Amino acid sequence: MALLEVKDLSAGYENGYVVENISFSLKDGEFLSILGRNGSGKSTLMKALQGLLKNASGLITVDGEDISSLKVRHLAKKIAYVPQIFSFSFEFSVMETVLMGRYIHQGRLGGISSSDSRIVEEVMSLAQIEHLKDKKIAHLSGGERQRVFIARALAQDTPFLFLDEPSSHLDISYQVEIYQILKRLQEEKGKTILSTEHNINLVIPYSQRLMFLKEGKVIALGEPEKLITKENIKEVFEADVEIRENIHSKLPEISLIPKAGEKS
Amino acid sequence: MKTTVKKLRLLLVLLILLAAGFLISLLQGPVETNFHDLWNLIINNDSTFRTIFIDLRLSRALLAFLVGASLSLSGAILQGYFQNPMAGPFVVGVSSGASFGAVLCIYLGLNIRIIGFSVQSIFAFASGFAIVSLVYLLSQRKGVFKVETLLLTGIAAGALASALTSFMIFLKADSFEQAVFWLLGSFALSDWNQITAVLPYFFLCFIIAQWLAKDMNLLVLGDDVAQSLGCPVSSVRKIFLALSTFLAASSVSVSGIIGFVGLIVPHWIRILIGPDHRYLFLFSSLTGGIFLLYSDLLARTLLQGELPIGIITAVVGAPFFIYLLSQRK
Repeated sequence: MALLEVKDLSAGYENGYVVENISFSLKDGEFLSILGRNGSGKSTLMKALQGLLKNASGLITVDGEDISSLKVRHLAKKIAYVPQIFSFSFEFSVMETVLMGRYIHQGRLGGISSSDSRIVEEVMSLAQIEHLKDKKIAHLSGGERQRVFIARALAQDTPFLFLDEPSSHLDISYQVEIYQILKRLQEEKGKTILSTEHNINLVIPYSQRLMFLKEGKVIALGEPEKLITKENIKEVFEADVEIRENIHSKLPEISLIPKAGEKS
Repeated sequence: MKTTVKKLRLLLVLLILLAAGFLISLLQGPVETNFHDLWNLIINNDSTFRTIFIDLRLSRALLAFLVGASLSLSGAILQGYFQNPMAGPFVVGVSSGASFGAVLCIYLGLNIRIIGFSVQSIFAFASGFAIVSLVYLLSQRKGVFKVETLLLTGIAAGALASALTSFMIFLKADSFEQAVFWLLGSFALSDWNQITAVLPYFFLCFIIAQWLAKDMNLLVLGDDVAQSLGCPVSSVRKIFLALSTFLAASSVSVSGIIGFVGLIVPHWIRILIGPDHRYLFLFSSLTGGIFLLYSDLLARTLLQGELPIGIITAVVGAPFFIYLLSQRK
């Protein structure tokens, strides 16, 4: 049973809080997407939830344990993280990168155990990257790279999986592919997934709940069917939209309205 | 498995080069000696050339090897620490800082030892550490290092430290040789005491670095990612910064500034065997030691007199550094 609870979380950097008074809980096995404009505090919240920010107040518990009292190594066995930006100063191979997810389960000097190789094999097949095993990370496409980082997070073997804008910089087919993989992980592996995103339509079919973030505060939290309204989108994204039903999923979907005077 | 074979093959080549390097170092010198003399010393305990073989040549070769290994290990650590394959003890300014500390100590006439540590190496460590901390603070923004700022601050801080070192030498130097020693490096004054001033630090730092090698693999991915993968970033960073400074400072206090070793060796090893620090630390140390062993051989045989070894490493290292800069995208 995995449970993450957040009470009155405020967090930011040296010059002050970016997100304020955030309270919510993440239920076992659910997929929650955090939506908001650029600069609304999505990435900051993502970091704060893992105790990565020093300037933070409030309480975050994972399975009843306060994360600020947990050892880094212990927390890394609970929450795995797929970051948005990655530097390529050093050319690790795909295999080496995925194996780093196993470090927390290995001794300092010990090699790869049989369970390590079994898990690495399994997560590489889940992320569909077996064929890239010996390639260098820097030589991969954006979509392949994202799948490698998902595989590394899976290798950590944690109940929680956090992703920061997993679809950014990817073209449409890769975006859908990533979310298909996440859906499989949720259904087959029972992962509890928290993800930030700015593409609203992309996440609606996959998320049990949405969180709307604006200027560091939670504006709304609930099921997509209830939250996707003209008024909410106007409020959160400051964009005029129509809501219609997607002909395949029967779920709500937003449709942009061009602003008056911008006709070409 | 292919990579394991590659590493073993490289290890074999390095061990052969190491043995050959030591043998040539023992036989080469102003006094004519041959293999037979060496054989007599080892097997028949014939002490005719004992001083020359053991106290002069062996100590010098061993010191060159240890300093090369220390500088390269320091470079390998700094490159990981700054997430940048162009860092190194010389480029980041640690070497110049340490040299300043060592010369300051001589200038003030503080030639004493406190519980086994010479005051000179403490000074060298402290000022090297001050420089690297300054460069660290100036070159990072929110945990991300900008290469340009890193290199420029390192060069500026290093130039300042070198200028102050030169000034003190100018005011007080007994000889021109002393100035050359501190600014361009030399093993001409090596003896067994200096080996004891480097050897324990090198082994201690090497063992700790090897112990934390997996953490370094995570650290190069950026602090947030490293922590999410289970690396206690802030304490690991402190330890690595201390190790790299210790290695550079102990090297500088016995041999002056020898540039570029710590930059080119780990960089080249990374190209050969990849960026996994569990192997990078070991292979960089070994290769750096061999590189300085042969550089010192050149330094003392190329011309009639002694050539400062820093000239040789710079002649090899500077073009390589320029090549690296030109390869950046």
